[in-house]
Amino acid sequence: MIRRVITMAALSLSLGLTVTFAADMGAKDEPIKLSINEWTGQHISAHIAGETLKKAGYNVEYVTAGYDAQFTAMADGEIHGAMEVWSSNAPDLWVKMADAGKVEDIGETGFDAREGFVYPLHVKEMCPGLPAWEALKECAANFATAETLPEGRLIDYPADWGTPGADRMKGLALPFKAVPAGSEGALISELKSSIAKKSPLLMVFWQPHWALAEYDVEWVDMPKAEDACFEDASWGSNPNEVNDCDFAASRVFKVIWSGLGEKWPAALEILKAVKISTGDQQVMMAAIDQNGGKVEDIVAEWMANNEGTWSEWVAAAN
Amino acid sequence: MKNDNSISANALPWLFLAVAALLVHSFADSLGWLHKFPADWVIPLADWINKAMDTFVELVKPVTRAIAAILEWPMILLRDVLQWTPWPVTVAGVVLLAWHASGIRLAIVCLLALLYIALSGYWNPSMSTMALVGIAVPLSLLLGLAIGIAADRTEMGKRIVPPILDIMQTMPTFAYLVPILVLFGFGPVVGLIASAIYACPPMVRNVHLGLKQVPYEIVEAAKMSGVSSYQRLFWVELPAAMAQIKVGINQTIMATLSMVIIASVIGGFGDIGWEVLSTIRKARFGESLLAGFVIVLIAIVMDRISSAYVTQDDITKAKNLANKKLWFTAAVLLIVICAVIKALGIDFGVDDSSLTKAASEWLDQKLEAIVVGYGQLLTDIKNTFFFYYLLPLRIGFNKAILPLTWGFEFTEAMRWGYAIAMLIICLALAKFKSWQTGLSVAALAYLLYYGLTGAPWMVLTSAVILLAWQAGGRSVAIFTACSLGFILITGMWERAMLSIYLCGAAVILSFLLGSAIGVWAASSDRVSAVVRPIADTFQTIPLFVFLIPVLMFFQVGEFTALLAIIAYAFVPAIRYTESGLRQVSPQLIEVAVEQGCTPSQIFWQVKVPLAIPTIMVGLNQTIMYGFAMLVIAALVGTTGLGQQIFLALSAADTGLGLIAGLSMALLAMITDRIMQAWAAKKFEGMQAD
Repeated sequence: MIRRVITMAALSLSLGLTVTFAADMGAKDEPIKLSINEWTGQHISAHIAGETLKKAGYNVEYVTAGYDAQFTAMADGEIHGAMEVWSSNAPDLWVKMADAGKVEDIGETGFDAREGFVYPLHVKEMCPGLPAWEALKECAANFATAETLPEGRLIDYPADWGTPGADRMKGLALPFKAVPAGSEGALISELKSSIAKKSPLLMVFWQPHWALAEYDVEWVDMPKAEDACFEDASWGSNPNEVNDCDFAASRVFKVIWSGLGEKWPAALEILKAVKISTGDQQVMMAAIDQNGGKVEDIVAEWMANNEGTWSEWVAAAN
Repeated sequence: MKNDNSISANALPWLFLAVAALLVHSFADSLGWLHKFPADWVIPLADWINKAMDTFVELVKPVTRAIAAILEWPMILLRDVLQWTPWPVTVAGVVLLAWHASGIRLAIVCLLALLYIALSGYWNPSMSTMALVGIAVPLSLLLGLAIGIAADRTEMGKRIVPPILDIMQTMPTFAYLVPILVLFGFGPVVGLIASAIYACPPMVRNVHLGLKQVPYEIVEAAKMSGVSSYQRLFWVELPAAMAQIKVGINQTIMATLSMVIIASVIGGFGDIGWEVLSTIRKARFGESLLAGFVIVLIAIVMDRISSAYVTQDDITKAKNLANKKLWFTAAVLLIVICAVIKALGIDFGVDDSSLTKAASEWLDQKLEAIVVGYGQLLTDIKNTFFFYYLLPLRIGFNKAILPLTWGFEFTEAMRWGYAIAMLIICLALAKFKSWQTGLSVAALAYLLYYGLTGAPWMVLTSAVILLAWQAGGRSVAIFTACSLGFILITGMWERAMLSIYLCGAAVILSFLLGSAIGVWAASSDRVSAVVRPIADTFQTIPLFVFLIPVLMFFQVGEFTALLAIIAYAFVPAIRYTESGLRQVSPQLIEVAVEQGCTPSQIFWQVKVPLAIPTIMVGLNQTIMYGFAMLVIAALVGTTGLGQQIFLALSAADTGLGLIAGLSMALLAMITDRIMQAWAAKKFEGMQAD
């Protein structure tokens, strides 16, 4: 009860603050539309940003939108913000619209994103040298299937996300054949069935992702990525190829419609300030995907427990 | 067989082709350009389309955006009304409608279906879908009616409409998603337009057909009584064509619902398709199946109610008319109840999904148990199919037979042995059966040796064009040649061969499996009653749902794609085989029985020959469905045209998407044209006999 009173007080305080914003609230009666893409983590980021905007006195609407398609909407000002755009998988539409000045990058979402090769823990028994990448040289045959014989099988990203797995295998001269997964669902199915069957699996994956919270998965250790690795063939273990190192660090950033700052000046400052940590994200993802919670409830809980954090973001518009 | 002269005239070009193929293979080094299509001959058509598109878009964007705004408004309104109405009221309303349309049985079916939707926790997304379908269907119907009339009335319409309809139906929607997204803006309207494009051809076809079938006497009588051509159309011809038009209405509804999931790839509407896609991304089979089933139920409810109205007999009509007051009271009562519920602020809650959760967990556990329990068996099945079926079709015995796969080396002697054995078989068949049979075996032996991706483009295109010529004459041959030429010069050939290989491999199995089930279903009413709802489900449930279990069993790859295609494409084979066999007149069978035929003789010598035309339609549909599923199969990691379409989608490359999509449509159309021409010839021959 007491906590609720405090929250209420804080809420009225923050509502009170809105009057004294340095940055103008702008058209605060018109809803700010944030996109909801196809994965849970993004739902969390969008809701945290949205709920914070609401605390500041804005009207927020969540709109389901395909990750690629949302940029058309944002360019036209029909959607106003996307909270997670991954540099590793940024659609060409984003590049196009950003070049045209219709959408803007307003800084990182805040988490420590990572991409690389992963394997379920039981695979270690089939390839004892793991997680060192050199071990894969010897055990490639253990990963072989009918389609890839005599090479090992690597599940790569769907072809439309690029072919980082195939590039690395070539760079590191590992005897693996990269098979494009076709979709995220296919990647997850592979992981699920490998864990169920205790069958070998090596695939390209990323974090934060709910699957990493749900399943025991390890990353392959690869030589740390440097710019030279991608440009200079002589760099690294393979003197003849580039890409003989780990994935370059991914950047996950927030994108807005370019007109947002003009229409809702204070909202722009708040969205710029929003930062979400990998740890918080993955805990919430597990609460939703593993334990069947609702995004709205889980985020409301986070908002209640992390008032210090979001009130700072709101204060950014001050 | 007519006479020897025509046989040799027809067989001769094939002999030439065989010699040419032999030359191409013997001089593979110097004639490499006949083998692999030279890269410098490929024109950058995609870039040209993209450039033209950019200009075009700026020009028409104001108009298309205005259209989008006009269409969006009623859809949002309808959605809001549907979501605002308490669900028990909506359920009661639909049940009353079903009762009014047909009777208590349909009312109960609809009640159960809607209760499932309400209790599954997917009520609100389902209502969004209903709103989309509610606007898309009338739109498609009106468009279809207008185009159908135009096709019937104008010379130009007659000529250009049919091929456009073919493209509209065979071109994968994903291929033109980017241009309509740019033109019409983001949101549910894009889904609406994609649905309308896909769903209006059946209406056009049926309107066109219906008008064509109006008896000449009626038209003449109308003309003599001096009505204007407008009056003649609306008062005489359209009513006379109504029976056929009604078929179009139903097919359009089904087609619209099958597009629901694809429309949700764009998002913006929070519909049931979006829910299905989200669960599929998480590879949650149980949830996706349960959510997908909602779409099936919506399709069933809409289809059954509309077709009940369409086929309503006079008794029901009279009854309804007599009870007009009662129906009116019921409707008013329902509105009053709705108002009361709203006024009292009673919330029935629509997002309780505890039931679905339990059910989907159970399904997921079962699935996992199968994966664990039969893991090795599943892998063995996959490997067998892969080594002995898929690989030879793709790369041929030439490259597929290795110690690693078949367990032995394909030596020079064995290769010669294969060639000689096949030559003898084919010559023997040509001599004792017919030259066509011999030729088919020779072609098959050739294809199996080199594989679809290993055979030279020159040989394959010539063979297909020749086949088109002999089956359908000059126009089919020219169409085939132009289409294949398009695929070649746009650089899609290799992708196209991968698609054809996978689709072909799936069609063969689908057709065998489907027609076997069809034969079984035709032999017993009880089997038929079980098979029919299963077939319905397989056709309306979003195809994506099949992907997860198959993926869990067989992992990413071509075998998984093969099974996914089969799961969708075997249905028409069942349907047409069953209906073909059931249509054979009982008198004929009685005659056969009286003459002392054994059951197997009756089957093979009476029933099958008579059912062949219908079964051939089934084969044609199996092929069309196989092509339709190819794009979706790309989601489990195939590498053909489907993958190109997804690449184009993510890169917003309009040109590439359109070219890949058009290539796929052309492949489907070539197959269709050749088969139809061939079937027509056979049919004529049979009638002549």
